[in-house]
Parts: sequence; structure tokens; C-alpha cells
Amino acid sequence: MHTRVLIVEDEPEFLRRFSNAVLSDPDLSLVAAVSNGLAGKAMLDVQRPDVLLVDLGLPDINGVEVIRHAAARHPGCDVLVVTMFGDDEHVVASIEAGATGYLLKDASAERITSSIHELRAGGAPISPSIARRVLARFRLAAKPSPGPPDPGDGSAASPLTPRETELLRLTAKGLTFETIGELLEISPHTVVAHVKKIYRKLAVHSRSEAVYEASQLGLL
Amino acid sequence: MSLRGRALAVALMLASLCCAAQVVELDRMQLLSAADPVPPASGSAWRTVRLPDGPFASTAEPAAGARWYRSNFQWREEDAAARSSWAVYLPYLYGGGEVWINGSFAGAVSKGTTALIVRWERPHLLPVPANLLNPGSNQLDIRVPTGTSGEARHFPRVAMGPLHLLQARHDTRMFWVRTMPQITVVVCLLASVFVLFIWWRRRSEVLYGLFGLAAALWGLRTLTFVIEQVPADQWVSWRIAYLAATGGFIVVMAIFSMRLVGIRKPWVERALLAYWGVGPMLLAVLGAGGEALVNRIWIGGMVPIGVAILLLAGWSVWLQRSLSAALLPTAIAVAVVAGVHDYMMAWNVGFLGSLLPGWSGQRVFLLHHAANLLLLAMAGLLTARFVQALHALEDLNQTLEARVADRERHLAASFERMGVLQQQNAASQERQLIMREIHDGLGSRLFTSLLRVERGDMDPAQIAEALRACIADMRLALDALTPDEPDFRTVLGDFLFRWQAQLEEAHVRPSWTIDVPDSALTVAPPIALQVLRIAQEALTNVLKHAGARQVEVRLRHAGGMLELDVIDDGRGSFEPAGANGRGMHNMRARALQLGGALELQSDAHGTRVLLRVPLSALNG
Repeated sequence: MHTRVLIVEDEPEFLRRFSNAVLSDPDLSLVAAVSNGLAGKAMLDVQRPDVLLVDLGLPDINGVEVIRHAAARHPGCDVLVVTMFGDDEHVVASIEAGATGYLLKDASAERITSSIHELRAGGAPISPSIARRVLARFRLAAKPSPGPPDPGDGSAASPLTPRETELLRLTAKGLTFETIGELLEISPHTVVAHVKKIYRKLAVHSRSEAVYEASQLGLL
Repeated sequence: MSLRGRALAVALMLASLCCAAQVVELDRMQLLSAADPVPPASGSAWRTVRLPDGPFASTAEPAAGARWYRSNFQWREEDAAARSSWAVYLPYLYGGGEVWINGSFAGAVSKGTTALIVRWERPHLLPVPANLLNPGSNQLDIRVPTGTSGEARHFPRVAMGPLHLLQARHDTRMFWVRTMPQITVVVCLLASVFVLFIWWRRRSEVLYGLFGLAAALWGLRTLTFVIEQVPADQWVSWRIAYLAATGGFIVVMAIFSMRLVGIRKPWVERALLAYWGVGPMLLAVLGAGGEALVNRIWIGGMVPIGVAILLLAGWSVWLQRSLSAALLPTAIAVAVVAGVHDYMMAWNVGFLGSLLPGWSGQRVFLLHHAANLLLLAMAGLLTARFVQALHALEDLNQTLEARVADRERHLAASFERMGVLQQQNAASQERQLIMREIHDGLGSRLFTSLLRVERGDMDPAQIAEALRACIADMRLALDALTPDEPDFRTVLGDFLFRWQAQLEEAHVRPSWTIDVPDSALTVAPPIALQVLRIAQEALTNVLKHAGARQVEVRLRHAGGMLELDVIDDGRGSFEPAGANGRGMHNMRARALQLGGALELQSDAHGTRVLLRVPLSALNG
């Protein structure tokens, strides 16, 4: 079964590199490769990719907007963000918009395709500092516990299960997935599956939070 | 209505009553010195005297003698028809006496005995039994003992008339000469206890102490007027108490006035105290017989002191020039005038009699009331001072609070400034750090690579490698320099997380353990960067030269040191003289910079790079 990939990348060299990587893998097919955010959104309106590979630094609109659009239109679509350094600030913003993985810009062709396959298989990697940041986002959001229950996930407290929280905590301490798997008595594959779930929860959580904040501000 | 106003009203009322038609005022009476127990017969021995009479010389009369005063008066039919009972009104009769109507005993004011001395300050109103009166002319006789001294040797102007008319006159005088002193005693003693208590708690408030003393002395003095009967054997001590209290009051007032205007002359004060002691001592030495002398001369000496007080008070007003400051001097002036008035009245200085003939006969002593006024003024003054002190305290508190608030604002502002400065400082330090890192690492790499590329010395693979090294260097700097929380485990974890992919792509199996206590391991960013650089150098070597199949990275605490171990199973690539010699040299230099040491073991079965840094050096 083919995985359909849409690429949004403004720099031609990288666009070519990503496209070539996708094209070189017989299990992947390229839906389109566009060089700006609006084109990417338009493409998302007419096509249904399985994976969106998107750069954050686009010339017209922020890549986060494209991610949000994809997450809204195609909930089953996996979004892989391309970042220069994998720094937590950009990555967490993308995750909150709906991304479930990220790719360093200088990644090799092999790494690009393996990341796409890993993501489709249900796993997502996470670095210690991003784990720490995600943990902090949930804690921060759980603290105020606003009066009316959130319409999105229906719970004001942290939506993470104790296991997920523990997983993030261990990751933040620099432990490898193998070690974490041993400690939590699960396979490394399950660990990355958990991480993807956590990403989804963060997206839902931040969306409902945005809705809540907007309603507080009288915008909705 | 003020006290003075009331005194004036009373005086006016007394004057108007003199002229009431139905009251008979006797301003002349027949006098006969005779010890007879019943009214003596009329005769040529009787002579006419003007009333009030006295003081009659006690020496001229036999000790147990008496004086008879006689007058005729009309009791008309209308008076009988009015059926109102008549009375004899005696404004004063200090030594007591008897009243006879038409030769019959009508009533008495009790006299002293050898064991009990009386001195009635109060007025007397003796009802006349109706059956003794005849329509038309009637005869009134009053018998007065002459044996006692002082005030007792005075005989007042007598009034006769319907009881209800004289009652008011009697009650008014009763209030002023008896009730008022009683009130004064109680108020003075209570006030003095209260004020002396304040002084006892605050010794520096000498004015309060003097005021309390003055009030106590005045209360004591007034007490001698309230108690009208004294056992004869205590009479002298009673009079000594009176003199001591009166003189003491004046002396204390003088000292009070001096202190009030800020004069502190110990010898003057001592002289005043000494003079105070003289009077009572003289009386104690001379006994009852010396009282007239002591009263006349010693009390007379108090008059100049009173005038001095008046002058001081005037000075105090002039110094302060405010209305409230005038209050006390005014009261003192009134008191001094009243004191002089009383002195003249007591010793029948003819001047007063000729100045105010109607008034002096009433024998109303004014110093009582003037002194009350004075004490009120003093109390008012001290209260004002007290209130002023409270206000001053409040003002002080407010100023203090304002100053504290001001200081707090200043502190907050300077803290803020310091915070901003610190932030700026930190930011500039960080900027410097980043600049230095870019300069040392990325910068030199880029320049070197550029020169080699221009010279044609690098093939594409080498260029790619150089550029990758540049990117890696940049990522390293980002890892180390921008963590949210400076937990080195996270920093190293990020580094290893990134290397994991790279190593896996090169078919080297990585594994790492981070084994440090659970509490956050804080390492200052510049030091973290150096440690990461060493790790990066080691891993780069593994990747480039070792041909290893697996690599292990361990971070742990051991013996006060942080240990970073990088172990591979490669060919043993580290050779000081080899192509990677410079990398080796760099690692050692960095370890030394950190205050640590680098150990290198390399053989055909692998290489181990061990960095040991003392924990104490980790926070910069």
C-alpha cells in the first residue's frame, strides 16, 4: 500500500532532495511538491495525502498554518515538520498545530524515508528537551483548571495517562527508548507509539485551550 | 454659662434682693457688750452700729463674753394675713449665736465649746415661730459669743422677711460657699491623682507634676472650709494644714508659671519653697494665738508672689502671642485679683469697704472660685499640650510611613534597575559567549574550508564533511546555550538523541546510560558546551576513523567527579601522531580548561575516552 506524500518546501535544493528521496522509495508516492504555503493549503483541499512534509520557514505564510489546515481537513494525515536544528521551540509549536514528527533539514535520503515509514507505522521520536517542554505545556495548562469543562477533550486536568507522563519524564532525563521500554516493561515500538499519542493529545489540548481562551476574550 | 458669668449673676441677684419690698434689711442695730444669757433691758449703754460690724477686738472683751445686737421691725397685718412664716437670714455667723424675738428664744446656730471649735462657712436661715410675732412693732435680739478668734468676730447685715423669699437667697449663698467647695475638693483630689499618675509614669513632664500638686493642695485647702467643726485640740494643726495648702498652692503656681515660660532658677525655686515652709512653722511655734499675725504678714507676702506670677503669665502670653496662650494668664490674673480681694476682706482693709460698701458686707470670698477657674485653665492647657503631642506623634508617624514608603519605592526601583542591568549583563554575556563560540568553532571551520575549496584542495565529499561539521557545531552550541532549564541530563540527552540517528546511519550501534542522582544536574552553559565538544570529538572520531560496530556513552557521578565515558570497539584510532592528533590535543586542552582530566586508552580492540570533571567546577 502506497503512502502518498505532499511536500511543501520553498528552497528548491531541499524540495528536490525531499522529492527525490520520496520518489526513490517504491512504497512512497509523491502527491505534489509545492514551494509556498498557500499552494500547500490549496493542494490539501484537493488531495488527500497520507504524509505532509512541510518546512516552517515559508515565504508567504507560516508553516504552522499549513499544518493546522492539514490537521483540520485530514485528521488521518501525518505531518512531518522540517526544521533546521530540531529546536524545541519550533517543534513544540508544530506539534501543537498537529504535527507528529520532525525531520532535520540535513537528513539523508535514507533518514527521510525511514522517518516517513516510522511515522506511518505509528511511532514518533522525541528528544529530551522536547519531552520536557511537552510535559511543561501540559502542566501549565492543567494548573488553572478553568470553570467550564473544555468542549474539546472534556477534562480540565492533564489529559495524559500516568504512564505517558512517566514516559515523558524519563525521556527528559536523557534515557533511551530502549531503557524506558525496559523500565516501563513495553517494547521500544510501543514507546514511540505512546509518543505519537502524546503529540495528538497536545494538539487537541492546545486547540481546546485556544478555544477556551478565545471564548474568554469574547472572540467566539 | 461660665463660672465668672454665674458669679456676676449671683452678685446682681443679691443686689436686687436687697431692695425687695417685703424683706427687711437691717443695716443698723443697737449693740450692747454683755454676757447676759437673756436679752438685757434697754438703756443708755446700748449704742448704734452700722452693719456689717467687725472685726471686733477680741482682746477688749472678756473671754467668755458676748455681744447683743438689737433692732425693731414691723410685722404688718398683711404679713400675718399672708400666713407665710417669717425667718431671720444671716449670710454668715461664723461662731454661732442665738436669735430672740420679743424677748423669747427663737432659734440658735450652735456655738463652739472648749472641746469643739466651730467655724460656719454656710449661711443660716432661722424660721421665726409665728406665735412670737405681734402685729406692728417687734424686737429682734441676736446674741453672739466673742470668745473665738478670726472670722467669728464679724457680724453680718441681717435680713428678715417671708421664708420663701429668703430661701432663694440662702440657697444661692449656700451653693457658692458650701456646695461649690465640696465639689472642688472632690474634683481637685481626683484630678490630682490622675495627673500625678501621668507624671509618675513620665517624670520628664514636670508641668503635669506641678499641676497635680497644685490641684492636691487646693483640694486640701478647700477641705478646711468644708469641714466646719474641728476638735479644739486639733485646731492648730488644722490651721497649719490650711496655711500650708494655701501657701503651697501659690508657690507651686509660681514655679509652674516660671517653668511655663522656660525660667529655671533653682535658687528662686528654693527661696519660694522656703517661704512656703515659714508660715506653717511659725504657726506651729506660736500656737493658735499667733494665727492672726501669721495670716496677716505671711499670707500678705504671698501677694507679691501672686503679682510675680501675673507678670510671668503676661510674659508667657507675649512670648507665644496666641489666644490659647492667654487663657492661663487670664485665669491667673483673675485668681490674683480674687486673692487680693479676699485678703483685703479678711483683714478689713478700709479701701475695699469704701470701694464696694454693699459687696464687702456680704463677705463672699472669691479665691475659691478663681482658683477653680485657674485649675480649669491649667487642665485645659495641659490637655491642649497632650492633644498637641498626640497630633505631633501622628504627624511623625505619617511622615515616617511616607518616608518608609518612599524608601520602599526607591528600593523597588533600584531592584528593578539592578534586574534590568543584570538581564542586560546576562544577555551581553550570552551574546559574547555565542560570538566566541561562533568565532572559535564555526567561523574558523568555514574560513579554513573556504580557503581549501578555493585552492582546489577539497573534493566534494570533503566539502560536505566540512559543512556537516559546521552544522554539527552550530547544533552543539544551540544545545548547550539555550536550554530552558539547565539540567545537563536533558542537554546531553538531546545531543545523544541527535547522534543516535547519525550513528545508526553509519551502522554503528549506539547505547548510552545516564547514571546520576535524580536531582537535576546543573551545569553552566559554557561548561556544558565544552563537555559536549569533547563528546562530539570522541563520537566524530568513532564515526570517521574507528570502523566500530558499537559505541557506548556513559555519564555518571563518582567520587565528587562527573565522568563521561565514550567506549567503542573499533580499531583503536587515537594515535597522538596521526591525522586526528589535533582533535586529541583539543580534547585534552578543553578538559584542562574545565579543571578536569582526559584519559585515553586505545588498542586494537577499541578506544576509551574518559573525561573527569570535578562537580565543584560544573557551575562555572
